[in-house]
Amino acid sequence: MLLASKTARHASLNAAAAFVLVLLQPLAVAQAAVPDTQVVIPKSRAPGPGDSPEAKGPRPANPRDLTGKWNRVTEFQSYGAVKGGANEFQNEILDAQNNNRQPDLSQAKARIKGLKYVEAVFTPAGKAAFDKNRPGYGLRIGPPRLGNDPQGNCDPWGVPRMLNGQVAGPHATWEIIQEKDRMWWYVPWHHEVRMVWMDGRKLPTLDEVDPVWNGYSVGHWEGNTLVINSMGFNEKTWLDHNGYPHTFDMKLEERYRLLDANTLELTMTLTDPEYYAEPFKSDVKIWKRDTINNKAWDENAYCVASEEGRFNRLIRDGEVGK
Amino acid sequence: MNIVQARILAAGLLLGAALPAMAHHGTSVTYDTSKTIVVEGTVTEWAFTFPHSQIYFDVTGTDGKVAHWGTELAPSPTMMRNLKLGWGRDSIKPGDKLKLTCNPHRVAGATACLSKEIVINGKLMPLNEAQVKP
Repeated sequence: MLLASKTARHASLNAAAAFVLVLLQPLAVAQAAVPDTQVVIPKSRAPGPGDSPEAKGPRPANPRDLTGKWNRVTEFQSYGAVKGGANEFQNEILDAQNNNRQPDLSQAKARIKGLKYVEAVFTPAGKAAFDKNRPGYGLRIGPPRLGNDPQGNCDPWGVPRMLNGQVAGPHATWEIIQEKDRMWWYVPWHHEVRMVWMDGRKLPTLDEVDPVWNGYSVGHWEGNTLVINSMGFNEKTWLDHNGYPHTFDMKLEERYRLLDANTLELTMTLTDPEYYAEPFKSDVKIWKRDTINNKAWDENAYCVASEEGRFNRLIRDGEVGK
Repeated sequence: MNIVQARILAAGLLLGAALPAMAHHGTSVTYDTSKTIVVEGTVTEWAFTFPHSQIYFDVTGTDGKVAHWGTELAPSPTMMRNLKLGWGRDSIKPGDKLKLTCNPHRVAGATACLSKEIVINGKLMPLNEAQVKP
């Protein structure tokens, strides 16, 4: 439905339209071939503090000091999938498309034990908003020229997308800077500095705030678990690369704890009843401290809208010779 | 300089390289990574920018017409620098002669492609460890 309407809008681009049609076919097969797409998120997967085994590395000098640069080591989890499902299916879809064959999603399933695509439990309004978002990743992957991912303009990812970047390098890394009354999440590539109040204040109500990219956040410690509650997000951001939407009413809870000096655990619960019929509980996400600064290749690298826009138009959209 | 006709490689030959590239930059959805073409031209611009460096160049066809081309380089500038082979903002200049092997764009007729092998003035400029000669 979505891709068909796109095709109509771009009817003059014959090659583009042909490509979309090629893409549409595997998508239809993809949906037919995965019988469990409509099941709800398994309760057994719902994580909580203490669900993951304790790491056995060095004990942190201070279990409440999260300062450092952290690289995610667990697989990306979409807001409609578990265990990197959308990524793996996307690889298979593209491979099949490149080789003029039908996708075999059982192969993708075989590569990751327990892989299952689990669609979000949308409300009708949520599904309609989801259908308007045209991503460059996941099961609905399309070329950037036909998409509307806000990151194409170097817009901020916002929260929670900045916490759970899908692809490699700077997209799966952030830095925490901690002071007494505030904590900061630093994500250079998308110009993001996200501030969390740690001074004991309460969250404002929706009537008291204007929508902002990263929302308003307050945190507190429950033992050695940092609990952050956030609200007030604008509706321009996507939850992830696959185009999951949210409303201004979205609320997010993050729970962090150090498993050892170099291992950080995060679980998240997202509620947005206007778009999702039940809360989304994330898997247990693990980050490792960047002790050797091995990701320094992204240091001070920023997504600059003028550079990225020119690159997308001339190269990725293929308009250089026009 | 002449356009060298497209060489169609056997499907799947580049498969191993194609999937990781897609995972990082979404390139397979833009380019047909099962095919490569070779184009030769004269450099007009070297954009050494993060994370997608680009070379723009002019290609003169057999009919004498000049087509403006562009190509992106998958490794970021810092990754290219880590090859320690002289990649930098001065490593390519306007007027340099370029022989480029690349994956073609999926849009028919588009003069943009994804670099796989770059030869500047007869010298190979490696894009990955595998292209670095011992």
